Formats: sequence, C-alpha cells, structure tokens
Amino acid sequence: MPREVSTLADILADARVWKLKDASAAPSRPVWSTGRPVLDACLPGGGWPTASLVEVLLETTGLGEIQLFLPALAACQCKTDGEARWLVWIAPPHEPYAPALVQQGIELGRLLVVRPASATEALWAAEQALSSGVCAAVLLWLKGTDDRWLRRLKLAAEEGGGLGVLFRPERHRFESSPASVRLLLTRGEHETQLELLKVQGGRPGHVALDVS
Amino acid sequence: MKSLRHSPAAARFATADLFADAVAAQPATAQPATATRSTSVSPERHLVRPRSARLWYAVVFPELCESRAACMLQRLGVSAQRFTSWVSIEMPNALLLEIKGSVKLFGSLDALHADIDAAWNRLELCARTATAPTTLGALWLARAGKHVQLQESGALAGALADLPIACTAWHPDRLQTLRSMGVTRIGELLRLPRAGLARRLGPAAVVDLDIALAKQAAPRRAFVPRERFRERCDFETEIDTVVYLQKAVHPLVERCALFLRQRQAGVQALELRLRHRVLAETRVRLGLASITGERRRLADVLDEKLQRLELPAPVRSMELRSGALQPLSASSLDVFAGLRGGDRDTAPQLVERLRARLGEHAVYGVMTIAEHRPEAAWQRVHELRLTGTQRAAPHAAAAHAQPLPRPVWLLAEPEMLRAADLQRLQEGALILEEGPERIESGWWDGRGVARDYYIARQVHGARWWIFQERHTQDWYLHGFFA
Repeated sequence: MPREVSTLADILADARVWKLKDASAAPSRPVWSTGRPVLDACLPGGGWPTASLVEVLLETTGLGEIQLFLPALAACQCKTDGEARWLVWIAPPHEPYAPALVQQGIELGRLLVVRPASATEALWAAEQALSSGVCAAVLLWLKGTDDRWLRRLKLAAEEGGGLGVLFRPERHRFESSPASVRLLLTRGEHETQLELLKVQGGRPGHVALDVS
Repeated sequence: MKSLRHSPAAARFATADLFADAVAAQPATAQPATATRSTSVSPERHLVRPRSARLWYAVVFPELCESRAACMLQRLGVSAQRFTSWVSIEMPNALLLEIKGSVKLFGSLDALHADIDAAWNRLELCARTATAPTTLGALWLARAGKHVQLQESGALAGALADLPIACTAWHPDRLQTLRSMGVTRIGELLRLPRAGLARRLGPAAVVDLDIALAKQAAPRRAFVPRERFRERCDFETEIDTVVYLQKAVHPLVERCALFLRQRQAGVQALELRLRHRVLAETRVRLGLASITGERRRLADVLDEKLQRLELPAPVRSMELRSGALQPLSASSLDVFAGLRGGDRDTAPQLVERLRARLGEHAVYGVMTIAEHRPEAAWQRVHELRLTGTQRAAPHAAAAHAQPLPRPVWLLAEPEMLRAADLQRLQEGALILEEGPERIESGWWDGRGVARDYYIARQVHGARWWIFQERHTQDWYLHGFFA
C-alpha cells in the first residue's frame, strides 16, 4: 500500500502543527485594541489579550501607562447584551480621577476601587476579582511579589476570562514572569520608550509609540 | 377641596372625585377613605384590591387593652394566617380576613367560620365575628355583635339597616351630629340624600357607606408579619478555635436559609453573637451587598468574616440573628444562577467577599460631581449599585464641554513644584503643551481657587497637570497623565 502523500496544505491543516503566523492572526480569545496601531501590530491578534495577564514595568508613574489601556477598558466594559461589565482597580498609586475616566468613555457605575492593607491582600483581591468572571478587566499595582502569586493570577485570569494588568516597578524586569505580555516603559531622551520584553505568539522589541 | 365644600353641587363633585380615586385603587389616594379607622401597622404590607367576589370575615376584640393593641393584633394576625394568606389589621381592635379562597379547603363556609371562631375561644378572647361580602359591612356587623354570615351583596343593605350608627366607629363628633339629626340607625342614614350627607359629614362618610354596600371597592393592605430568624446553639464544651466555630455555624446558616426559603424572603444583614463565660459577647456583623437567602452565599461571607476573627475568649454558645426579611425579586432567585454557568460569582458576591476580608471602606466606586474645582469634581461612592442592567445615560459631567483633558491620577493635595522643576520650566525642559485653562471658583465657601492649569510635558515623556496660583504666582503639581 503506497504511503499517503502529504502536501504542505495537509501538514498545515494538522492541528498538531503550531504556526506562529496563525497564532497572531486568529487568537482563540477576543482582544482589545490598545488604541495605537503601532502597538496593536506587535501584539498577537492586534490588541491586549483577554483571559491572560499583562505585566507593565514602570520606571516612574505618569509615563502614559494607563493611556495604553484606557481604550481597551472602555471597549471591554460594553458587552453586546447591553450590560456594562466591571472594572476593578486594586491599590492604584493615586486616586483615579473620575472626570478623566468619564472623558475616556469609562462607565463609572461599573468601576470598583479596592484599597487593600497589604500586598498579600491586594493579590488575594486580584485573584478573587479575576476568577469571579464578572470583571472585564482587573488592574493591579504592586511593589513586588513572587513568581508563585503571579502564576496564581494568571490561572485566575484564564478561569475568569478577563484582562489582568499588573503594574510593577522597573526593577523586576529581570525576574521571570508567567505573564503573556510583558512591557517596559522608561523615560527616553525625548519621549517615553516602550519595549516589549515578552509577547506570547508575537515578537518582542522596541515600539516607537509617540508619533504625534 | 375644603374651599369647595360650601356649595352642594361642588360637594357632589368633590365626592365624585374621591370615588374615582378610590376605584382606581391608588394606595396614596385611597387612603383618606380608610384612614379614619384603619391605620397601617407594619410598613411592608401588600396592597390588594378587593373584588366583588370576595368574602370578608371580620373579628372585633372589644376588650383588647388599648396600649398593647398593635402588638396583640399582629400576633393574632399571624395566627389568623392559618386560615387565609390574606389578613388585614384594622386598628384599633379588629382583624379582617379574606376567606373566599379558603371556603373550599375547609369544606363549607359554616365550618370555616366555626373553625376561626374556635381559634379565638381557645385563646379565651372575647371576640365578635361576622362575615359579609364587603370589608366595612363585615366590620360593622361584627362591631354590632351580629353573628351573621352574609354571602350576597344584595342582602347587605337589609342587614346593615338595623345596626346602630355607633358600629361604624366614626369620630364621636360625627356621630353626635347624626344623633342631633335624629339618626340612630344605618338604615335611616341610607335614606338621607347623598349630597346633604356629604356636606354635613364630609365626603369620607359617604364613601364609607358605599364601601359597606359594595358600591365601591376599598383597597386594603395585607398584613405581612415582621419576622426575623433567630436561633441559638449551645456548646457542650467551650470552643476556642475559629475553625470549630465555622463548622458549628454551618447548620445554623442552613436553617436560616431554609427559614428564608419558606418565606420566599432574603436578608441583607446577619449578626452572629458569640457568648463567653466572663467577657461581654462578641458580635460579628455581616452586611450583604444585595438581598439574598442563598445558603452558600451566606455561609461564604460568614466564613470569610470568621476567618479574620480573633476570639477574645472561648465561646460557650452562639446565636444567629437575621436582619429584617425582605422579599426576593425574581432576578435574585437562585434558579437563574445556574443558567449563568455553574457556580460563577455575581458582582454582589464578589463585592461582599472583598468587603468581608478587606473592610467595608476598602472597596468603593467613584463618581463625578458637576463642579469646577478639580479636587471637588469627584467623590467616593460606598453605596454601590450592583445590579441594574441599564447603562447610565451620558453623564451630566461628560456633557459639560471640558476644554482640556483631565489627568487619570489626581494628587490628594497639590504639591508645590520643587526648585529643580521650576528651573526646568524656565529653561524649557518642562514644556507647557496645553493651557492655560483658567479655573476660578468656590469663593463662596471659603475654599476658593484661582488657578491657571497647564498640561506640562517633561522632555522624557511624562506628562503632568500643573497650575499656577494666580495670587501668589506659585506653581503646583496636581496630577499625572498616566
């Protein structure tokens, strides 16, 4: 009996063959646009992935880190059935300023701010919020944490299906992290520098953000 | 309406208005018709509009102690709920039971009537009872001591005609007016012309007569007993660890949930009291984000609260008390929980869990306020609206044309710019990108501001929201465009 001849198309159709390009073209989960086409192009599917963890390493606060997520936050709140979903901000470094959020189109009635007393409490709250499935996105600010907790957060995000965003100081950049996307924001010569340290299903590298 | 009462024609109109109101059975407008006699005791009562096909059993307790009447009537009302789900308390000393629906269950009207009468006899209460197709008809017959069972509204006028006017329990002044007119029986009253009667006695009296004769419907509010769950559990040995306490509390929670389910009610507050040998009891208070009667949710929140409890002393006994019972709405019934995919949480559950562990004030929302001063344009919201599906209409503050964007982070207090930053401002290393936006407001409450706001960009990219105080010319940092 002659061996079955496999064409390239057959091989590519095999589910066991993983294709980098496909992974970026058709993600299994919806993504939320970052509002910046340059950055979208570097992310698989063209936006922040849901049901996963995004880690942002910051040199200092005020580098436009929230701006990267605001379009996604406003978009993911609206669902097709008309019910706005919840956003949870855990341990933000300052008070989220309501008028600014309204300007950005965020539904304030569906925003929770959580102020835990310690980092462990913050991580616990984030895990609860992510795994509950009622939150579209959970933003968490931390000074430091260990790998084990991050893994728990990622699992919680996968379970709940929301977008988890973790903001940490820049000094953690050389630690390993289970986050699907890691990016670093630093002060540059003339503008904020954004570097993708890790992109699952995409290519890491510098992104020239500010063209305006 | 008072000013119209002088002319007979106007009085007729006024009465007609009242009739129309009462027939529409609006609770607020129908009140005047019944307010003379029946005062609501419990706030949570359902409004039922009696139809003609109803049968009312009235019981009057003439010897009821006046000071304790309200309390006694509530208890009697609860025991009367054995016979019908629909009981109304008629202050000062009567109950009304709608028994049409129960006749079939008890065999016949006679049997039912006798059964209810026997209930008062067993309590050794002096009770006068009567049954009639109208609320007031039954009440008046019972007050007059006529032990009759009328089923046809046609027979009402005849039966009522003999009654003395005192059985209406109208105000003594009104009764005195009638007596001075030579009227002593209801029958004589019914023969008088309506318009004249309305003018002399007030329209409410005419309405009462119409209600008694089934010419007009009289809405009554059903009595809903005010109940709480309260159960105590004594331990054989003293418990000094929270883990055992958690185990011990579960049966109590289960019974509480069962209690709530039987009443189709939920609670929003629970209290667990732990009694010690010497020390004062420890109270664990639970606030739930929404009304619930679900065992799992109550147990979860209680568990979370107990985990963080430090026992001051071993516990000898504990008591679980519920807050006021509240009716469950269809959306809070657990039946629908399954449709949303397994044991996923809902937003109220999440908030509860977070609050139970982190504290009530650690979880809050934010809202905007239409105010020009930036620091006063927002505030925290602790009373969260957790359910409700509608997306709020575009907010009033958003409708304000805000000329410049606002920063995501606002400092609690503006910080004065440091000398180094000021120097950079002068050198052009801190670039004023947008502005000025002049905000001058609040002079009336002593916290007035006069500021010019700018969006400043540092050379390396961070953007600040800074302002210059117009009086002092000082520069302050007020927020970050993160």
